Amino acid sequence: MAIKKKKVSVSKPNTPAQQRLWLMYPPKLIKKPFIYEVGHKFKVVTNIRQATITDEIGIVCLELDGARSEVGRAITWLVKQGVNVEPVEIGVIAG
Amino acid sequence: MSEKHQGYMKALKCRECGREYPLEATHVCEFDFGPLEVAYDYDRIKKTISRDLIASRPKTMWRYRELLPIAGEPTVGPQVGFTPLIKADRLAKKLGIRELWIKNDAVNYPTLSFKDRVVSVALSRAKELGFETVACASTGNLANSVAANAASAGLKSYVFIPSDLEQGKILNSLIYGANVISIKGHYDEVNRLCAEIAGKFGWAFVNVNMRPYYAEGSKSMAYEIAEQLGWRAPQHTIIPMASGSLLTKIHKGYQELVKVGLISESQPKVYGAQATGCSPISTAQKAGLDFFKPVKPDTIAKSLAIGTPADGFYALKVMRETNAAAEDVTDDEIRDAIKLLAETEGIFAETAGGVTVGVAKKLIASGKIPKEDSAVICVTGNGLKTLDAVNGYCGKAREIKPSLREFEALLAQEEKVNA
Repeated sequence: MAIKKKKVSVSKPNTPAQQRLWLMYPPKLIKKPFIYEVGHKFKVVTNIRQATITDEIGIVCLELDGARSEVGRAITWLVKQGVNVEPVEIGVIAG
Repeated sequence: MSEKHQGYMKALKCRECGREYPLEATHVCEFDFGPLEVAYDYDRIKKTISRDLIASRPKTMWRYRELLPIAGEPTVGPQVGFTPLIKADRLAKKLGIRELWIKNDAVNYPTLSFKDRVVSVALSRAKELGFETVACASTGNLANSVAANAASAGLKSYVFIPSDLEQGKILNSLIYGANVISIKGHYDEVNRLCAEIAGKFGWAFVNVNMRPYYAEGSKSMAYEIAEQLGWRAPQHTIIPMASGSLLTKIHKGYQELVKVGLISESQPKVYGAQATGCSPISTAQKAGLDFFKPVKPDTIAKSLAIGTPADGFYALKVMRETNAAAEDVTDDEIRDAIKLLAETEGIFAETAGGVTVGVAKKLIASGKIPKEDSAVICVTGNGLKTLDAVNGYCGKAREIKPSLREFEALLAQEEKVNA
């Protein structure tokens, strides 16, 4: 099952991208409609794949589709609001 | 896929919904994003494996190869594992427990940490799947192990590190000829970029797309402990937690040994150890929660500094099921525990080892581990890797002139002080 070598192309800002993310909301932000806002502020398609909301934490698994730069801006905005944003493979960096 | 290509593995299986996937380089379920895990044909393993067969093989972790996720013979790290299990009587006395053992992966081959177990499994499987380039994102031990094991197997390697990593740790990967890429930015940004790189380039990213195979390597620590104890699971095992994966896999390892008939049924308890400066799992366990809250790490135990532990939920579940507990220790307690282990048993552990010993001390003192029982402490890395953490905390060498009289005067003074 040999893996074919791919030619590396440099990603451009308008290259289509999809990111799969875990959003973790601290208790004080649980009521905020961030996903609605992300869909309106940025040209991205939001798709909720899973969610758990308790009094202590809100955890949402979200797919973001759009141009690479828009997806990046949407993530930066979410982080700025105080949401913890991790790739679906949380903890990619190991010890 | 034929039997030849899958050994004793059956499929990759989602830990959440149970959906099965082919035995390829993939790691999350497409339906619920649950982590994938290797499922084995235990009936067939039970018919093949025996204590005698294992005893006839070399003393490495591969003596349990039927229970590890490779199809054929191991091709990377054939000498890894079977580290010493030491009866730690002097430390036992200090901690006030009847019997204590240290599983010492500080001397694991070739890079002096337990990561050589998981990496040799991931890279052996990567070679079976036809990969020529391997990669990882790491702040230390994993990077060193990927670089070394890839070099010995003739694989090309990329190691991604945060830009603020100490020079010594970078050298420990560069020396093996790895492509070391330092990424500027916050931990979260580095994390997201590495996930993207892993998705884009089709390399064997050991702790991303190879994670189902990689994580299984940790089970070998449990197999070895059980065999070294005379084929029984210990009553209590204290395990350091970063992602929480090692704890869940050691528990799985004990369960598998029962399943394939190598040990008899018992109720081994597995305890999790964290540093107070990064303790999302132990904080949740102590509060009785079944989920953790992400934290920003601030501890000298860098190899355990994972603020969003990928297997935290499962580690909490295993501790609950085995009726065990978690605990955490401060940086000062970590240093004290490193010294205690070194002074009583002659083992110099890295900061994660200090965490485990410090937590064992607390669990025994609080009665959560009964004093009349027997426990195993897992030491996962060598102290030579984290010298900075104890620099300035071990006293100083006393200087004298090249004169016998001066040395005798020093001894006399010491006797006076000790009298």
